[in-house]
Amino acid sequence: MKRRTFATGAISAAAGLAIDSTCQGRWMRTLASELHAQSSSPYRSDRVVVVIQLSGGNDGLNTVIPHRHELYRKARPKLGVSSTDVIEIADGLGLHPSMKSLDRVLSDGRLSIVQGVGYDSPNRSHFESMDIWQSCRHKKDRAPSGWIGRWISEYQASERPDSLGVHVGAESLPMAFLERGVQVPSVASLEQMRLKAKVEQVGSTDVGGDVASSLMKGDERGASEGDDAELGLLGFVETSTSAAIAASERLEMTLAQTAAPTGFPSSRLSEKLQVISRLILAGVSTQIYYVTLDGFDTHANQPAAHEALLRQWSEAVAAFTDRMKEAGHEDRVLVMTFSEFGRRVAENASLGTDHGAAAPMFLAGPKLPNLLVGDHPSLSDLDDGDLKFGIDFRAVYAAVIEDWLGTSSLKSLDGDYRRSATGLQLFKNRS
Amino acid sequence: MSEKRIDDTHARVSHKLSEIDPEIAWQAWQPSPESPWNGERARLLFRRGGFGASPEDLEYALKHSPSQVVDRMLGDFVGKRNDEFERESSQIASSVRAGGDAERLGAWWLHRMLHSPSPLVEKMTLFWHGHFATGADKVTDSELMYAQNQLFRTHALGDFRELVHAISKDAAMLIYLDSESNRKAHPNENYARELMELFCLGEGNYSEHDVQELARCFTGWEVRRKMFRFNPYQHDSGMKSLLGTKDIESGEAAIDVVLRHAEMPFFVVEKLFRFLVCDEPRPSRSLLQPLVNRFIESGYKTESVVRQILESELMLSLWPVGKKIRSPVELAVNLIRGLDATTNLDRLAKALKPLGQALFFPPNVKGWDGGRAWINSSTLIGRSNFVVDLLGDGNTRFHGGALDEWLKSQRISSLDGWMEWLSDSLLAVPLKPDEQLRWKEQISSSTNTNHWRAALITLSRNAKLQLS
Repeated sequence: MKRRTFATGAISAAAGLAIDSTCQGRWMRTLASELHAQSSSPYRSDRVVVVIQLSGGNDGLNTVIPHRHELYRKARPKLGVSSTDVIEIADGLGLHPSMKSLDRVLSDGRLSIVQGVGYDSPNRSHFESMDIWQSCRHKKDRAPSGWIGRWISEYQASERPDSLGVHVGAESLPMAFLERGVQVPSVASLEQMRLKAKVEQVGSTDVGGDVASSLMKGDERGASEGDDAELGLLGFVETSTSAAIAASERLEMTLAQTAAPTGFPSSRLSEKLQVISRLILAGVSTQIYYVTLDGFDTHANQPAAHEALLRQWSEAVAAFTDRMKEAGHEDRVLVMTFSEFGRRVAENASLGTDHGAAAPMFLAGPKLPNLLVGDHPSLSDLDDGDLKFGIDFRAVYAAVIEDWLGTSSLKSLDGDYRRSATGLQLFKNRS
Repeated sequence: MSEKRIDDTHARVSHKLSEIDPEIAWQAWQPSPESPWNGERARLLFRRGGFGASPEDLEYALKHSPSQVVDRMLGDFVGKRNDEFERESSQIASSVRAGGDAERLGAWWLHRMLHSPSPLVEKMTLFWHGHFATGADKVTDSELMYAQNQLFRTHALGDFRELVHAISKDAAMLIYLDSESNRKAHPNENYARELMELFCLGEGNYSEHDVQELARCFTGWEVRRKMFRFNPYQHDSGMKSLLGTKDIESGEAAIDVVLRHAEMPFFVVEKLFRFLVCDEPRPSRSLLQPLVNRFIESGYKTESVVRQILESELMLSLWPVGKKIRSPVELAVNLIRGLDATTNLDRLAKALKPLGQALFFPPNVKGWDGGRAWINSSTLIGRSNFVVDLLGDGNTRFHGGALDEWLKSQRISSLDGWMEWLSDSLLAVPLKPDEQLRWKEQISSSTNTNHWRAALITLSRNAKLQLS
């Protein structure tokens, strides 16, 4: 039986199985070296990014808090966090008190807060805004396609045994991973990835020729509406099935030799980061992991819910970065956190906040040169009651793709954000 | 007449959706010598209008016309059978409601999907549950979730406008979207936004200003003691305008303004089309237009659109075969009905979660995306493990007995016969000869030495089982 790896990266599966592999390999290398030339630093194929998506719209104003500001106190008479409670990080600026587990990450200089991140003409629908953050495209295209999917389709080399991207979570595969020709495993949990009955070879789907030919037709989820919708769906399910079985086998082999890392608090996010740390420590060569933490849509009774979520996030990030540091991986594993939007500056009457616009992003893990990047958005110059963005989120992505991973961001972001990325100096002293 | 048809001998390969004439697509399908009313068509009708055909359903269908089959799926002519079923269902309901656990409500509902004499009503109840998605994780009161589910059932095929008015005052919905108290000082925008974005119009058909104005219209709407209540002291009685209409006096009037928007029928009909016909591609507006007209003429009766779709030339030309990915609920219920099986309902309800569709626990207010979003490595492994677990569960019975006995009663005595039976009754798209050969090889190399079971387990990893 042909044992395939976690690969599932469609290109590598196709290359290994059907297409002349030397030819494919050469093509990949040429393409890759051309692209490296456009990037400012060499491809760091050992580096890892863990993306944490805070779903629902995190109240950035009560996360990184201008607690002494008169307009903040006025806009948040009931929800405002008092100056005596915040974790002061700069003059008049404090973190929510529930984030104290980040103390060590802060004192080690392993945290960066990018303030006032957003995009032009902000959309206040969860789903539309999330699509914008994940696709990096404003208009609706026929085929869903995401920034990580496009990055993978560019860099998934046939030699690499594992998929460049892995989603850890029980929800549907995020749009960020979608792209023609890209198959990314979705690991709900290690338990759920275990096939209960072993069968040698599976349907028509485990036969190299079939897989390759359906891949060549572009039958993946990101594909545009094909000439024949039936073959499209069928081909998609077939490639997904063989990818799933390959991923399941690879996971089982990998994990048989390792134990689950300890020291994680018990929470949904921690469980996911624990899975990721186990994969990293087991030597899986995936470079972008993606997890979500839901519940940030706090229209009512925000204080307790928001506090619990920020605590869960901080504890999980602290535990994860600690494990990475102990294992000597702190200089190669970066955690990047975002939410689809912030919330309205003024609180509503249900002890909550409605959908807003700009909000902070967080980077954690390696030593980072600046704790604060960009200015806190103005509380007086608002856009229909919402904070205006100062930094485009794609500039932050670009910095991560270019300076952290050492790859080109042009295709991934569907545009050139390199100049604004350089201006941020997120990793100035690092690459 | 003959040129006014979708050429069904080639329909599945030769027609793009965009090439299908809207006038022909929705006319009532008529049998002819070349395209007779047969098992393949009946099975498609039961898959889309219900949860698959049981052997008994199929027998009925072949003796009656498609529109009689739809009548039956709607619950006409059920009489005594219905009384027995409802008695059983309410027994299960009282047992699970006593426990107060919303997860167990899924067991009650699955029993309805498996055994209801009116499966189309259950199918549309599932549609509305996904459309007006409300999650028990946030509502936390299983009685309210039960009441909401009954509301969907009552309105499942009725006037869409009545359903929208009713759901806007449904306690579970209001709690889910943080609208237990809407005060005039700072109105909460959550329900106002989703009413337009997700329930009635779609994104892009209203402005941020409309969201804020609609939120003002809903001020004073509250939930007290698990019931909707209007609190006039909290209602913003100032001037409000919405979607170009001025001087809106009440929340009810505001809902009517939203419902009168020209996009509303297109938005609802497109979602029905996607639910019943195909996951992709998106239908053109001209293809939807005849259905939209019918929807409006009927007074926004969901039944009129659903019936027109199910009995249409487009449906029964077999064009939709294989063009939808089975949802986890469809896969599970279809499989169990097809095999004439019964199993532990609580375990069945729990088993849907790793497949991505826990009943009463949709992922968010948008509901389940469906289509390709059902499929990823974890859910595919889950689908296979589901079949393994179903067969391994001591409570699973086939027509009340063991699998081997049931096969005997069905006069299935050879592996080939069993494979043929399985593909006919469970697969929408037939296996090609080489796929059948490979399947047989897998069965013989399976670690499971019971060939009957091995056939099902290996089939669970075949992509074609996931298609409807």
